[in-house]
Amino acid sequence: MKILIAEDDLINSRILEKNLKNWGYEVVIARSGEAAWECLQDETLRLAILDWMMPGMDGTEICKKIRRKKNYRYTYIILLSAKDRKQDIIAGLSSGADDYMTKPVNFLELRARLQTGRRIIDLEDKLLFVQRQLKDLASRDSLTRLWNRVEIVRFLGEELERSHREKKPVGVIMLDIDYFKKINDFYGHDLGDEALLQIISRIAKKVRKSDKIGRYGGDEILIVLPNCNVLEVRKIAERLRTSVARRGIKAGTELLPVTISAGCASSDSLSPPSAEKLIRSADAALLQAKNQGRNCTVVHDLAVETFGEVKNA
Amino acid sequence: MPNHAHPDWNLTINYQEVLERVGGDASFLEELLKMYIDDYNEKSRLIKDAIHRQDFVAVQKLGHSLKGSSANLSLASLQKASLALELAGRDENLVQAQKALACLETEFAKLKDYLQQNPPRPEED
Repeated sequence: MKILIAEDDLINSRILEKNLKNWGYEVVIARSGEAAWECLQDETLRLAILDWMMPGMDGTEICKKIRRKKNYRYTYIILLSAKDRKQDIIAGLSSGADDYMTKPVNFLELRARLQTGRRIIDLEDKLLFVQRQLKDLASRDSLTRLWNRVEIVRFLGEELERSHREKKPVGVIMLDIDYFKKINDFYGHDLGDEALLQIISRIAKKVRKSDKIGRYGGDEILIVLPNCNVLEVRKIAERLRTSVARRGIKAGTELLPVTISAGCASSDSLSPPSAEKLIRSADAALLQAKNQGRNCTVVHDLAVETFGEVKNA
Repeated sequence: MPNHAHPDWNLTINYQEVLERVGGDASFLEELLKMYIDDYNEKSRLIKDAIHRQDFVAVQKLGHSLKGSSANLSLASLQKASLALELAGRDENLVQAQKALACLETEFAKLKDYLQQNPPRPEED
């Protein structure tokens, strides 16, 4: 584990360094407050031993600065000082230090106190891991592991804001499986689910890395495509449609001749763009594709409210 | 030859304590003591200069700094003299500062003599 020693006294710094290396730490050294602050920008540095008195920024100032920083992984700080009066210890800990040791340091004690620091850091890491897992669980659809409806719509909103700033278009594709209800009714829901997963797996291989796929409803899939004008969206939608239609979908022992229909829209002809309008447009285009016999891609032109169609190949 | 464990010499350098601090590594301690001697020579020059200029802030800081490194190497007499210098600086007391400097110089000479005759050696059981 990495540890910072911020100490301007060369001898104390060398003694600390030697002991810490003996205990298996990877030591980073700073000789001034500013240098220490610079080192602490490295978020893999989670343990720090700061001398109170240093040229420039002192140890307590660094503590305060670290604790003011938002979205920062926890750094466990031991403040070192020759000051051993009660009020000094209180002031040191109040500045944000986790622990306080008076100099000269007793190294057996330091080693034990560092163990406490490691326990706190391990605990934080575990909590963050669980938090990430929970966030992921809450953002994904449990069957398909695609982004759920809330998450994909939120992403679209973010992309629209970004694309507006960068003056680039955002495309969306709304697609669903043709006669999916019949598949479910005829083969049962387990097989229907399996077919859905197979189709998603094919689609996922055909989109770009920057695109996000979400499950919008039952068998409705919403794909958000950053930096895509309407022509590019249509090209990608066609690629998805043909990849599904090209050969049957294997579900259980069956090989199902499944097809999909796609509705496309892009923000490039929409002012001001909104997630709701884009989704509505792609949905309208999807409905149009269904009405035109399915297994086709329809593009919704937001500016003139017309539809352009690519017929099934 | 003075005994390492003799209480008077322990005030000059407490080998047992400092060796414990450096994990019993006598050659590392020797390196640290060389560092201390170089640092002391430089600081002693700065202290004389600061006293001459009656720059008490500098006197206090230099005293504080020497106190820290002396404590780290278990040099109790030098630590005590450094503290006296730090306090003289804080109180802006020129006479006390000069006294403390004289005391530092005596203790430093004592340390050098002692180290010459008794270089660090690994801890005995």
